[in-house]
Amino acid sequence: MSVSALSPSPLRAIRWRTLIDRVLVLVFIVALWQAGSLWFGAYWLSSPWSTTTRFVEQILNGELLRHAGYTLAEAGAGTLIGGLPAVLLPFWLRRHPIIVAILDPFMVGGYGAPKLAFAPLFLLWFGIGMESKIALTASVVFFIVYFATLAGVRALDPRLVQMAQVAGASERQIARHIVMPAAVPNIFAGFRIAVPYAIAAAVIAELISSNRGLGYLVQTGAMNFDTTSVFAAIIAATLLVHAANLLMNTLEALLMRWRAPLQSMMES
Amino acid sequence: MAATLSEVRTLLEVRQLGKRFAQRQGRDKGHEPSPWVIQDLSFSVRAGEFLTIVGPSGAGKSTLLNIIAQIDTASAGEIVFDGTPVSSRDPRALKPGIDRRIGYVTQDDNLLPWRSTLDNVLFALEVQGRLNDETRAHAETLIRAVGLAGFERYYPHELSGGMRKRTSLIRTLVYDPPVILMDEPFAAVDAQTRTQLQADLLTLWELGRKTIIFVTHDITEAIALGDRALVLSKQPTRIAAEHMIPIPRPRNVKDIFALEGFADVYEKIRADVQ
Repeated sequence: MSVSALSPSPLRAIRWRTLIDRVLVLVFIVALWQAGSLWFGAYWLSSPWSTTTRFVEQILNGELLRHAGYTLAEAGAGTLIGGLPAVLLPFWLRRHPIIVAILDPFMVGGYGAPKLAFAPLFLLWFGIGMESKIALTASVVFFIVYFATLAGVRALDPRLVQMAQVAGASERQIARHIVMPAAVPNIFAGFRIAVPYAIAAAVIAELISSNRGLGYLVQTGAMNFDTTSVFAAIIAATLLVHAANLLMNTLEALLMRWRAPLQSMMES
Repeated sequence: MAATLSEVRTLLEVRQLGKRFAQRQGRDKGHEPSPWVIQDLSFSVRAGEFLTIVGPSGAGKSTLLNIIAQIDTASAGEIVFDGTPVSSRDPRALKPGIDRRIGYVTQDDNLLPWRSTLDNVLFALEVQGRLNDETRAHAETLIRAVGLAGFERYYPHELSGGMRKRTSLIRTLVYDPPVILMDEPFAAVDAQTRTQLQADLLTLWELGRKTIIFVTHDITEAIALGDRALVLSKQPTRIAAEHMIPIPRPRNVKDIFALEGFADVYEKIRADVQ
């Protein structure tokens, strides 16, 4: 009932307030950055203005877009390759709790292992091209999404399953019509956490060894004592994360229209 | 003639049913067996009969219905459906709903939150592969009959408690199982809505004359709806008494108190409910 108490106009007011406050926080961060740049000198810490100019320059000459495209492709492919089995596995394991129990310590280990430390290994195995970055990204995404989906499958209300069984639904139909939609919020929560990690993993793998991508830009920038280029590349990576997040929000809103507005508002 | 013939036919029989739950580990020392929740409980239902079962809270009413619906196992005795024993001791051998022949309206509405009213109502037909123009039209008739027309596209969280109840009720009615179990379906709604829901249920029942086993703790409800009322004892649960309800149909649920015979049967049942 409290849902209807929030009529559209206060909601809109909250949205405006949020937007204005966000701009204020941004101004504060940029001011701090500027102060730091003045204090330490632009050689060590490039100023917001020269970073912005460089950013626009590199966008216009296509360099930044090309490198961001590589990073995005690596992160995207890794997210798909790691995420898809991570979503499907808990569904298959739902009927086999013993296998879940057997796998658990290994999954926890995989989840907790510092996967970035595997980057040199992946480079050794898959070369300095895209494959090694995709492998690293996939290994990061897999465990996060696996545990999120598993939690969703476990939190399923058994009464809904019983209802479906009484109505004559087969196991397949229950997985498709009950378990899957019930787990969708958790799957999204998993991807919401995993995707920024995926982009970060791709950038870091590029940092270690690569001849393209945003990580490569950071690396060459640092080697040439060009902090402006480093910052421009980092900002590009941050914007990628935001774009991915926006895409997720849109998808989520589309797939979860059935949720009560208050419930989804509090989570976003 | 067909009506009288089918009325004498026993459709469902519960014979010496017993239930005890598995011992919880580390709860009590020693190996004392867990107590019987239901013991030696027997009754039968005729085809087309509206049977109500009254019992105090904690009398194992939901457990009884869960066993009949084949969601839970029996520890003793058996359930005979249409002449065939159907119950089992082995949870893996259970057949929930006995091949769609038993519908179950649970205490909670258990609507699927990601499905609209219409899609919730059509759920059973959909998984049974029986979705066609005819069954769709039937679903729409039921939706209109319970006053949900115009709310077909709404999600459960957008409906009132009474509307959700109506949705869960017709979700079971729509696929036409021969027997429908109802576990205090109207317990969680306010008194006025409840009377309306009872009237709706009777209207729907008059249309199809399904066999209904309706469990409640409300004596008035048991009288207003049923042809016959069984009274359950405290645990271990068994049948304490049986009362025919001589009030003619169609009944006006709102004025049920004023009808001849109500006070009499109410007093009798109340005396038996412990």
